[in-house]
Formats: sequence, structure tokens, C-alpha cells
Amino acid sequence: MKKIYAFIITLIVLVGCGKKAELPAQYTDAETQACIFPDYRDVVVPPNIAPLNFQLKDSLAEEAVAELKGEKGETLLVASGDELIMQMDTTAWRKLLQENKGGKIEVTVYAKHGDKWMRYLPHTLTVAEDEIDGFLSYRLIEPGYELYRQLGLYQRNLTNWDVHTIYENNREYSDSNNHCINCHNFQNYQTERMLFHVRAKHGGTVIVENGKAHKVQVKDEKILSAGVYPSWHPKHPWVAFSTNKTGQAFHLYHDERIEVIDEGSDLLFYDVDKNEVKHILCTDDHLETFPNWNPTGDRLYYCDAYVPSIVHVADSMRASAILTKYDSMFYNLMSVSFDEKTRSFGEPEVVVNAAAMRKSITVPRVSPDGRYLLFTMGDYGQFHIWHKSSDLWVKDLQADSCYALTDANSPDVDSYHTWSSNGRWIVFSSRRMDGNYTRPHIAYFDKQGQAHKAFCLPQQDPRHNIMLLKSYNVPELTKDAVRISARDLKDCIYNTEGEKSKYINNPSALRTPTREADTVTGASPKK
Amino acid sequence: MGKNNTKGSAKSAAQKPITKKPTAQKEARRGFLFPMLPIPLVVFLLVWLWAAWWQGDVFRMVRENSFFAFDNTLMNYELQHSYGYLWAIGRCLLTTFRYPVVGGFLLALLLTSCCWMLGYTMRLRPAWRWVEWLPLGVYVGVFTYQGLNNWFEAESGQAMGIPFAAFVVLSIWTIIIRSFSRHPKVGKHPLSPCRANEGVSRRQNAVQALFVVLMLAVPMGWASCARPYVRPLASMQVDVMNQNWNGVIKTAQDNAELSYRPMAAQYIIALVQTGQQCEKLFEMRLDYDSLYITGMNGDHQNATNIYLMECDYHAGLVQAAYHHAMENMAMVGPTIRNLKMLCKTALLRSEWALAEKYLYILDQVPFEGDFVTRYRAMLNNPEAVNADPEVAMVRLTEPIHDNFENNFVQPVFLGYTAALVEGRSINALWNSLMVNIYTKTMPEFIFRSQAIQGTTPPKSIAEALCLMANKQPELANAFNGLEMHRGRLGAFIRECGDMLKSSESRAQHARELFPKYKGYYPYYYFFGNLKATRKSSDKKESSNSGVN
Repeated sequence: MKKIYAFIITLIVLVGCGKKAELPAQYTDAETQACIFPDYRDVVVPPNIAPLNFQLKDSLAEEAVAELKGEKGETLLVASGDELIMQMDTTAWRKLLQENKGGKIEVTVYAKHGDKWMRYLPHTLTVAEDEIDGFLSYRLIEPGYELYRQLGLYQRNLTNWDVHTIYENNREYSDSNNHCINCHNFQNYQTERMLFHVRAKHGGTVIVENGKAHKVQVKDEKILSAGVYPSWHPKHPWVAFSTNKTGQAFHLYHDERIEVIDEGSDLLFYDVDKNEVKHILCTDDHLETFPNWNPTGDRLYYCDAYVPSIVHVADSMRASAILTKYDSMFYNLMSVSFDEKTRSFGEPEVVVNAAAMRKSITVPRVSPDGRYLLFTMGDYGQFHIWHKSSDLWVKDLQADSCYALTDANSPDVDSYHTWSSNGRWIVFSSRRMDGNYTRPHIAYFDKQGQAHKAFCLPQQDPRHNIMLLKSYNVPELTKDAVRISARDLKDCIYNTEGEKSKYINNPSALRTPTREADTVTGASPKK
Repeated sequence: MGKNNTKGSAKSAAQKPITKKPTAQKEARRGFLFPMLPIPLVVFLLVWLWAAWWQGDVFRMVRENSFFAFDNTLMNYELQHSYGYLWAIGRCLLTTFRYPVVGGFLLALLLTSCCWMLGYTMRLRPAWRWVEWLPLGVYVGVFTYQGLNNWFEAESGQAMGIPFAAFVVLSIWTIIIRSFSRHPKVGKHPLSPCRANEGVSRRQNAVQALFVVLMLAVPMGWASCARPYVRPLASMQVDVMNQNWNGVIKTAQDNAELSYRPMAAQYIIALVQTGQQCEKLFEMRLDYDSLYITGMNGDHQNATNIYLMECDYHAGLVQAAYHHAMENMAMVGPTIRNLKMLCKTALLRSEWALAEKYLYILDQVPFEGDFVTRYRAMLNNPEAVNADPEVAMVRLTEPIHDNFENNFVQPVFLGYTAALVEGRSINALWNSLMVNIYTKTMPEFIFRSQAIQGTTPPKSIAEALCLMANKQPELANAFNGLEMHRGRLGAFIRECGDMLKSSESRAQHARELFPKYKGYYPYYYFFGNLKATRKSSDKKESSNSGVN
């Protein structure tokens, strides 16, 4: 019996301890940096981020060791595990980051080829002073086309590996329960007020306030569809929505896979407390979408394509008409002022005239200090998450200058972005890893208004990025965790119909066409 | 118990003198004619044969439409279903059907053990021993009845998961009974299969054997009538996967009288890959009888997803193939078949990182090493991709210009090919012309055939042109060699002219004429695919399109 106990204890010790990391005594120096996956070389990291575990991509290496040496003396050694995975001890990592806050960590990777060790050129991790918000919410969905099955909203604790399920749709096919969820959104980087939409069965907009959920139907015959892209007003229980009529078209021989076409878009203002909705902008010749409030709540930014040529096209032919010129659809960045006392909006103003550059802008997001306007610019269209040309840009609203965040961008899709509450971090979806599956990337945005090289959301096992056959969709940062349970949300979604919102007529929402060239045909409007 | 046994022995001893004792000679003869069969072994061998040989390709396709890996992230879709872990174990066991002999062995072992343990736990007397083989009949019956549903939007883990669950439950039950039961009847049914015939009469042995054979034979016979397409289709799909094009063509021609869309699709893929589409397309009956197939919502389906992505791929529409593979994955989770298609299309589009991702995932699936090795060698190497014979054929029909799937009649591999205006090779033109004559859209066919005026067209196209020359005589002189087909056309019209008067008459005579005119286009034009003909003429009134 004693022998059995001894064997079990030895086994536990062996399994528990793993390999002890030791630096090789002798090695030769390589002339390059180690190729690691994900690419965490020379990035700026938040001091509260989870360990940047990585995999050494060296087909000749049998084992590897990494040395993380802080400027202030602390050192962390990591031995490779299965498939040259470097997994760091969370406590040691946290200590290393805290001690080197505002400083640099040098990472040197050693690889063993046969019986000889090689030392790669080191890379650095710069530890920023500014923390990132602790929680990242996102949706997981196949980078698919029209169909969906299992999808869900999740929240990841960025300081460790915890993932909390906010809500998952029905796990098994059921005609009476199949539904999609999308467009989760929070007020002011906090989870006190949040919302998301449910489509198909049990459809409606789920609004959560102070941990309690209720469902509403933001619909009316005068509204194109339900509320779609949301933005919470920073102070009040009001939401600006776009309402869109969109469709998809599938390329047959193109670098891109999908084109999402916007057949009609307007903007809505929704009062949560009164359950009232009214149009902000309702025009036939303009496609207004992606609303976003500024931090003071007195201005609403949005994107707008001017397309008078489709006004008289029959609804059934509109998609075809747009498809013939899909790569000439250009969205400008616009804004309207807002008076919260009268709840009225001013006249539309052009913020960035992208159409003039034959470019198209989507997803404007104002920084928490109100100075920078972050957006995605691509060659055409409005659904840049499927456009390889899409890159992150900012407009400095103080200096009135506009520039690309070159260091953070990649040759592939970079879109759907969010600010951290302190304005020092941006998180965005990027397809740079394999061209198809979006992964959240985090980039430091410094005080000079420049973004640094972005790095992928760390995972306990970096192979998770390969194994996961879903895309991370709509990343949103919050300071706190979502409080409502998935069960309560399910109860609300399944067991309530959702009260239909009251439509308030707003005559000022009907605008006259602006004097711009038609972005589809290029024709100038008649005067 | 001992007392009872003693009583029983005494009773049987007392009965002995009354029983008519056969002579030794008679007994020997009977033993020779009806030997005592080791039933468990017979069952095991028969089930092994059934699973590995008779249904081997069917199980292989169930496996290909399944997925298993020792990774939680990859198995997440499956594990979130009810009984997800059980079905995951079933899928794990199913992976052995990469080699049906191995998978069949495992399945036979599970089913035979289950039945045997059931008999033991139910303490069946020799006279009732046949009852223990009933679950086997249920399994074979249900599997046969389900047919295509076994691998179409189905939970593939059930095929091995249910026998496995039964095996575990019965094993536990058996151990409990063996360890704790004091029931006097225990012992009537031996635990060891080696003692299967103890206390079993020759007649009881024969009844068991007959029952087992019937349980296998009846579903097999029934399937030949009610589900004749299941095995040939599975065989063709396996051959398409293995790029054994001649195997596909042989199976199609051996079953030329069977007319089912998924079978026709595999056949056409093989013809396109071997460049025989203009010669042999109509050698298969193309009338499309209805299939027994239900989707995940329980509705009757037309089985499009069984062949859609492969047809897109082999028609050169690589992006459409990716699209449909991804849609399939969204709906039923990852499957080996989907992942292989996603990988191949990524390679064709030089999306190396994406292809590597899929290969890495496929590498986690047991027994997929060959595929991974073959395609991993193509990573970052466009020359190696294009040198692959299958890819080389796909490349020939890739579009030259972009367009949208939405702009074509569906399915897009037919709609796009039918409307082709500019092709990358002569193969693209052949495909387009063949789709035109297949869909009987003759004005489009004649329009496109202008591109080959002055040449000698391949067989089916020449036959179609010869047929059309009756209405447009100028066609006869525009192509070489049409006169060779005139004689046969004349004979065909003389023989069948009266049958062409009504659509009812055509439908009536279609089957009887097929053996004689198999492969002959005018026969297909007038008697084949009449649903398409009707649909085509109906649609022409309104939209002038008619792809079936």
C-alpha cells in the first residue's frame, strides 16, 4: 500500500511541477528575433493584462526557454511545454508587470536544435502606466454568411483567463426557439445599463438596467426595421439607433468574400424610460448609420452615404441597383448637435468628407476625453469587417487633423473598435491572423494621439486562436462585470413578448438633400 | 438453488427413458447437416461483414460528416448538446471507420457483447435465447431505415454512441448480477460466450442462427427496394473524396437506372474531372426520384447540402464552395468533410495561414494524417497547389471576372455555368454547353455553341446540335461531323415519334426506352428529366429561365 501511495505522490509531483526552466549554459546567437505566435514582439502592454503566453514557431526546435527580464531586475523564466507553448505563471507575471510599470521587459527566447541551443535576438514588452478596463465583452459567431446556429455573448476578464457567459442562444436546433443575438452595447463603459438585440424567434431588444432585464420592440411601420446599431447616451437612459435594411451578396472571384449592402438606413432616438422612439434622420436619398454619442452627450456622430439615384428604384430592385455599383458606395463621417433639454437635433454637418477621397468611413467612436474620433476607413461600403482595405483612423477634433493608425493597422481587416474608459487603449477586431477569423487586438493609444503595435487578446493556450472556429465580434470594454445572469436573460427573452415602443412623429427628421455627388452614380444633385 | 437444480436434474433424468433417443447414425447425419453453430461468433462475424463490407462506405460517410478531436474548444459545439459527452464518445469510436474493417470490428464487438450481456442479465432460457439478438435487429433496422439521414444534418455520434452506452450499462448490470445476485435462474445463460451452446438444443441453436440471419437479411433486402441509393451514393462520395474518378463513374454506370440528384452530382463531378462530361453525362438516368431525407428541422429535404459544396468546387467556384462549407459548419458544427473543403479552398486562394489553421485542426482528428501530410506540403507553395491533378482541373473553370452568387439562378454551379460569357479554358465552355443542354435551354446553347463553329463537337453536344438542326438547318453546316449523327436521330424519331405527342406518353415510355438510348441526348431531351422540362417551359412564360 505504501508503494502505491508513493507512486501516486510521485506522479502528482511530476505532473504538478512540470519542467523546470533553466537557461542553457552554452548557445549560439541567432541574427533574428524568435518567430512567436501570436506576435507579441515589441508591443506596449497594460500593467494589468493576463500573461502573454505564446508558442515558438521553430520547426527545428525540440524545446525552448524564454527569459523575461525586467528593467528593474525581476526575471521570469519559462520552459516550453507541448508544441513549444510558453505558459507563464500568472502570479509571477503580474509581479513582473507591476514592478516594471512604465518600464520595459526584455524577452529572450532560447531554442534547442538537436543538442545545441540557440539564442534569438530579444524583443521587448513595454509596460504602460495606464491600465486597461478589466472586462471585454464580445460575441462568438462563425465568420459565416447567412446562417447561424450556436452563438453567444461572453465577457472575458482581461486580467486572467476567466470567461463569463452573458447569454447563449439555444444550443440545439429548434424551430420554435432559434434566435440570433447581436449589437451588445454598454453605457459609459459600465454594465449598469446595457442592451442587445434578439432576432428571429423571441425577437426584440433586451435592455438591462441595474441588473434587471426587460424586452422592448423598437418597431413601427414608419421605421425601416427594428433598431440596429446602438449607442447609449452618456448621461441619460436614451439610445441612438440606426435602423437598417441590409442584405448580403457573395463574391464569386474576389479577394473579399461578402458584400453587405445597405438598401436603406435612418437614425432613431429611443427613450428607454418612456419606451418612445422617434426619427433623428429619415431620408430616402441618404443612408445614415452607425450612430455614436460624444462623451458630453451634446453631439451625435454617424456615417452617411448620399444616394439620390436609388430613391425611385423599387424596393425589390434596390439591392440589385446597389450591387452594380457596390464599390462606389462611400460613407462620409457626419454629426448632428443635440440639445438634451429640448431633445432636438441640429442640422447634419460633414466631419470627414470621405466620398471626396473615394473612401468610405464607418463605426465612429469618440474617445472618452472627447478629443479623438476613431473610425474605420476602407475603399468602399459600410460593412468594413469584410473589407481588407479597412484600417483604423482618427480625427483629432482639436487639431482638425485626420490620420491612419499605421502601427496598429495590418494589411487585413481592422475594424470594429472600442476605447478603454481612460482613453489609453483601443480594442478592435482584426482578421490579420488568418484572414478569416476575427480576433480582438489591443493597441496602446498614447498621449500624442498615436496608436502602437497591436497585440492579440492573450489566451491561456495560444492554440486557442487556431482551435476556435468562431470570430470575436463587437468587442466592447467595460470597467465592471455584467451583473445579470444568463438565466435571468433567458427568462426575459423566452417568457416576455416585449412591449412595442410608441412612435413619436418628428417632422424635422425629414431633411432636404445635401449638395453632394451621388456616391453610387457620381451624378450631381439637381438644384 | 442447489436443491432446485438437483430436482431439475432428477426430473430430466426421469424423463430420459420416455424421450425418443435418436440413433447415433441419425445424430451424426443431423450434426453434419445442421451443425451446432457458435452463435455469438456467428453474430460477430455477420455484423462485422455487414458494417465493414455492406455498409462500410455508409459508415465512412457518417464519419466524414462527423468530427472528433481531443480538444474542448474544438468539441465545444458538440458538448453543448444534450448527451454531448456521450455523442462525443460515439464520434471518437466512429473515427475508426476511416478503415471500415477496423470500425466494423469495433461495432460488431459492441453490438454482439451488448446482446450477449442482455441475454445474461435477462437470464434467458435456451428456448428464448433468440430474444437477446433483438437489439441487434433494431440497430440494423433503424440504421438501414435512416439511410441518408445517418449522415445528413444528423448527430453522427449516435451510430456508435448508443451501442457504447448500452455496452456500459449492460456491463455494469452484468457485473452486479455476477457479483451479487442469488437468483436461482442465474446460470441458465452462461456468461462466457464459449459456453454459448451449453444446454441449447440443435433446434434452438438453429432458431437463433435463423433469427440473426433474418434480422440482417430483411433490412438489407428492404433497403435494396426502398433505399437503393444509399450505398451507391456513399460509395461514390467516398470515391470522390479519394479522387477515384473511375470508381465513381463505374458505380454510376452500374446503377444507371437509379436516378437521384446526389448520385448524379457525384457522377458529374467525376466526368468533369476526367473530361468526359460531353461524352457520358446522359449515360445515367436523370429523372430524379424522391429521396428519404429529413433535415435537422424534420422537414423533407432535397439533399442539396450533400453535394452543393463539392459541385461548386469542381465547377471552379471556389468561393461559393467555401461559402457553403462555412454555412454547413455554422449549422451542424465542424465536420471532417467541411474542414477538408475549407482547407482546399483556402489553399486554392493562397490563404496560407487559413489553410494551415484547418490543417492543424484536421491533424487533431484521429486517422487524418494522410490528408494533412498531403496538403501541408502545399502550404506557401502555389506551384505545388496547381500541380495537384484535382486542383488543375478546378483551375480550368475558375471565373475570370468577379460576380455575385446572388445574380445567378441557384444552385450557383449550374446557374453560373449556364450563363457563362467568358471562360478560362475550353473545359469551361464544354461545361457551359453541357449545362445548357442538360437544362434544355436550347437558345442559350445555340448562342454559346457559336464559339465552336467549324469544329467537330464532342458527342453529346453534336447530338444536341443535330437535334436543333431540324429546326435551324443552318446549324448542320456550321459544325463538322454532324451528319454522322443524322442517321441515328432519324431512327430515334421514327421509333419514338408517336410517344412524343403528350407529356404523359413521354413519362410512360421513358423507363422502357432508357436501356436502349442510354447516353443519347435526343432521348434525354424528349424523355429525360421531364420535371425540368415542365419547369423550364412553365418558367419560360414568365422569366425565360429554367435551370432545374
